Amino acid sequence: MTEYLYTYGVTDDGSFELDLPAVEDATSVYTVDYRRYSAIVSDIDTMEPEQTDENARLHDDVLQALIEDRTVVPMRFGMTFKNARALKSVLRGGQRAFRRALMNVDGKVELGVKLVTEEGVDVDREAVRDDVRERLGEVSNDRAENDLFSDRLVVNDSYLVAHEDREAFDEVMGDVTEAYEGQLKVQYTGPWAPYNFVDIEIGAQGAQ
Amino acid sequence: MFILDTLLVKPLMTIADTLHTMAVNEVYDVGAIQDQLKETRLLYELGELDRETYETRSEELRDDLELAEEMQQKLLSGNVQVAQT
Repeated sequence: MTEYLYTYGVTDDGSFELDLPAVEDATSVYTVDYRRYSAIVSDIDTMEPEQTDENARLHDDVLQALIEDRTVVPMRFGMTFKNARALKSVLRGGQRAFRRALMNVDGKVELGVKLVTEEGVDVDREAVRDDVRERLGEVSNDRAENDLFSDRLVVNDSYLVAHEDREAFDEVMGDVTEAYEGQLKVQYTGPWAPYNFVDIEIGAQGAQ
Repeated sequence: MFILDTLLVKPLMTIADTLHTMAVNEVYDVGAIQDQLKETRLLYELGELDRETYETRSEELRDDLELAEEMQQKLLSGNVQVAQT
């Protein structure tokens, strides 16, 4: 059976190996290192893992477990490499981009904020968005706006928040929930790996 | 404008072809179905839908999505027949 490498992200916090449930029934996660950069991988027997809910959840679970005590630049689902050599060549070529991305997200996590209108309730959407963004802007480093995929979604933003600001962010979220009680439902999620705050594209040749 | 733009880009395409393409795109709107799937998931997570309703609705939408993707694929390959009524 040929084994390929499925990647979760890149860190500069050193090499490691952990027993963790991973994509496509893998049970161990380890690093492939090039200089100070380590790609976090597990073994996989296909170049094209199935895009199932279960695999997507496992991809995210691995990252969740790792971001507790490491800074990680997350990869999107499905990045698979033929062997360590191919992966190392991507780490070598992407050193500058990885350095920049790791600096941007160092010591920070991503938090998700969705505000959804209660059934049959109409609100001044623009005013709500401005208010929420102003309040949360004071306790975060960056914001990314996500797709408003439902007519009932008023806010769908991700925030980049430093570890030391987490408590303050939680408090502001409490205030927001209270302020719009009866009008808007709040979904506050995370911490996530900072998917929305790194922008690294690995070329197709890297995956071969 | 869309029809004119399309005809300018593809002058050999007839208006009937263009209208048909637009109709298929609307009925089999992959993006809209993906949005409905995400909305269903969100409403379930917020406690507005019970698990059974969520699972039934998601399954229906996944079937719709599969069909829509298949139809879009056929449309791109030009294998969709226009039914005359």
